Amino acid sequence: MNAILLLMGLLVLSYLGSFLVTGRAVRGTGLPSGVEYVALGFVLGPQVLDWVGHDTLEAFEPVVQVALGWLAFAVGMDFGYAGDKRVRAGSLALGTFGALATGSAVAAAAWFTMRRLHAPGSFSEHILVAGGVGAACSETTRHAVRWIVERNSARGPLADRLNELAHADDLFPLLAVAFLFALEPTRNVAVRVPLRDWPALTVALGLVLGAGAALLVRSDLPQDDTWAVLFGVSLIAIGTSARLAMSTLTASFFMGIAVSLLSRHRRELRAMVAPTERPVLLPALLLAGARLDFRASSALPWIAAAAIAARLAAKVVVGWTLALVSRPARRAGPLVGLSLMSSGALAMSIGLAFALRFPGLVGDTVLVVAAVTATAGEFVGPARLRGALQAAGEIDAPIAGSASPGTAL
Amino acid sequence: MSRVVTGGKRDIVRRLVHAPLLAAFGGLLFFVTRSVPEVHGGLWTITAIGFLLLAGTLTSELIEPLGLPHLTAYLIAGVAAGPHMLRLVDEHTVTLLSPVNTLALALIALAGGAELDFADMRRSARSLGWAMVVQSVSVLVVLSGVFVAMHSMLPFTRGLPVGALVGVALLWGALAVSRSPSATLGILSQTRASGPLTSFTLAFVMTSDLVVVVLLTTILGCVRPFMDSSASFSLTAFAALGHELFGSVALGTTLGLVIAAYLRLVNRQMLVVLLVLGFGVSTVLDYLQFDSLLTFMVAGFVVRNMSNQGRKFVSYIEQTGTVVYVVFFATAGADLNVPLLRQLWPVALILAGSRLAVTWAAARLAGRLANDPPLLRRWSWSGLVSQAGLTIGLSVVIAREFPGFGASLRSLAVATVAINEMLGPVLFKLALDRAGETSRVQAPSFPSIRPPPLES
Repeated sequence: MNAILLLMGLLVLSYLGSFLVTGRAVRGTGLPSGVEYVALGFVLGPQVLDWVGHDTLEAFEPVVQVALGWLAFAVGMDFGYAGDKRVRAGSLALGTFGALATGSAVAAAAWFTMRRLHAPGSFSEHILVAGGVGAACSETTRHAVRWIVERNSARGPLADRLNELAHADDLFPLLAVAFLFALEPTRNVAVRVPLRDWPALTVALGLVLGAGAALLVRSDLPQDDTWAVLFGVSLIAIGTSARLAMSTLTASFFMGIAVSLLSRHRRELRAMVAPTERPVLLPALLLAGARLDFRASSALPWIAAAAIAARLAAKVVVGWTLALVSRPARRAGPLVGLSLMSSGALAMSIGLAFALRFPGLVGDTVLVVAAVTATAGEFVGPARLRGALQAAGEIDAPIAGSASPGTAL
Repeated sequence: MSRVVTGGKRDIVRRLVHAPLLAAFGGLLFFVTRSVPEVHGGLWTITAIGFLLLAGTLTSELIEPLGLPHLTAYLIAGVAAGPHMLRLVDEHTVTLLSPVNTLALALIALAGGAELDFADMRRSARSLGWAMVVQSVSVLVVLSGVFVAMHSMLPFTRGLPVGALVGVALLWGALAVSRSPSATLGILSQTRASGPLTSFTLAFVMTSDLVVVVLLTTILGCVRPFMDSSASFSLTAFAALGHELFGSVALGTTLGLVIAAYLRLVNRQMLVVLLVLGFGVSTVLDYLQFDSLLTFMVAGFVVRNMSNQGRKFVSYIEQTGTVVYVVFFATAGADLNVPLLRQLWPVALILAGSRLAVTWAAARLAGRLANDPPLLRRWSWSGLVSQAGLTIGLSVVIAREFPGFGASLRSLAVATVAINEMLGPVLFKLALDRAGETSRVQAPSFPSIRPPPLES
């Protein structure tokens, strides 16, 4: 496909995506994870129709990197907040613990599957795959709870708690990505830095650039100049981290955190950035779908199955932990943790970042597993979340036509 | 883009904070470009966009006490970051930034067309007509003469027969007639000026695009037999020109009506719509070999004058365009061929100075003939000095038509444009300030900050 045609298609998708940021559209169409756009991308991509070929995907790599960086920046600005409310310390701790437990379980499952099946790839590639899959499968999409809450008019302590957890579990996967990227630093960097320092440098780069941006927008700049500063510094963060072979996602995420923490205009900045998230996400998901290659590894189906199973088990355990500290969660039943099964934007972003950084076996495997897990999450997460909220008495009555998991979304 | 005016001390503190921050960001990029070879060309292009955007914005703030236009600051930032100074942005990256130029030119032409009010133009038709005729003829004739007089300083004209020398001089004269719609719109976007000088300059500069295209085609057809003995005068080029002009106007009209209908019926997500117009429609126009500047200008003109959506449309473009303009002009700065300017500066300075003098004199004469008000007589020349991408684009056409001397002529054009590009905006802003047409309205800032027009 001609690059301009693809660009036009992506812009049309952005156009549609921008309609999906409003409450009415949230209740109307789409899945929390956005995997339908991944599926569309897969159909258009080289593996099926080949309308979006390898060359075009390669040409669009910089755009994808920017999209990923911007999304991570938006996630960073939102980190620790659910809407305008600060996430409680307990939720922050539990969210991080949940991501850590889930990510570790998934990584371990992927690792043992690969070793057991003598999957293709070297030892270090297995580490990267296991780590990448663990990072991609550790989060719960921030949109999941909002989707259900909006569509079912749910209100209550459990909905609030789950929403906070979904907003507080992004730290671990993004730190993990920084560590994993550091395992194979670029060979072109003239500066010699010990391997262990690369993740810290990634975080530091994001924090320093974010602090700079916060200082710049601190002084009541005109609106146009504020956009110029945010875009400009974000692009510098993305390009610099990519050139140094660091994790673009991590640097941008920490930049978002720094801006959010250090700027006295957090609310206004968030109001500026939030509406851009969905229009940027959908084209990125489409391009991620186009990159999916299910022939990446002979062990891929088993790795994906192991990842899903481990994620299910880990989420159940997270739910039990939640039930220990939250009375409404106890009322929702022992499987309340499965409410957090929906993964989406961040998972696919991590998958895509791996596909760009480690093209071939590692990247393709992580991306496919991220997509498959997000799809599986759609069959479990929303339905269990609705069930949990009903059991907790936060949804008045069952919604007609919503019995079939995912279909009502 | 006009800044919020706050206390003087606070402004100083702000600049004292912003200057080292800009230096720090530049230092980071300097370090990265020196310590890590380029691997992903496209990605660094995007980083360059980010830095040019940031550097242009901050530089415009830092030099504001000097009263210089923001556009000049963007150019300075581009020159400093460009391949001839700090090399944060190399030649290859500058070339890859051309899509930004496409988008910016589309927005500039749309905004320019949408600012043209038919009633105003009809009222000032006499002024515009005289100015167009006097400016075009005098600049063409005098600059051609100056070029012939200076031919001993121009190595590529040595050995040319008189007919060919006059032909080359006429081509130079045609280039000198061209103006810069982008610089004009850039200044007006910053100053939010309004008044007779603003209206006159805008109308003149936007319509002069048409005049220059016709003029250059005519001269190309006429001088070809002098350059190439095997060539003969042909009207084929005029048929192609007619196709291009009528096609552009027809398509522009249709596009304008579609935009007006969209604004009336949907009126949402204009950012994405403008991106589609900038990239998608420009590609179609390129394929059809239509003049994109003319097409978009006509589209904007139709939205303004054949619907009641004009103000809204201009507002959307301003919101979207500001960021694009910064990158556009900073890229133009990075693209300035400083070594070439260093080499050709005496000739380029004489040619640019001659053009400035003729433009001033022609404006005085045209003002008298049209019986213009004193304000126009005094300042109407000021907006006609800038030259930028359009002139260089025309020089590329000449270089393609006449490979023998075309490349050298293009280099000279680039050097002259460099001077006019830096000087013109300063003069125009000065004139707008003196004429009292610069807006005092402050740009919105926190806490009234709102998202861009993704959702209207």
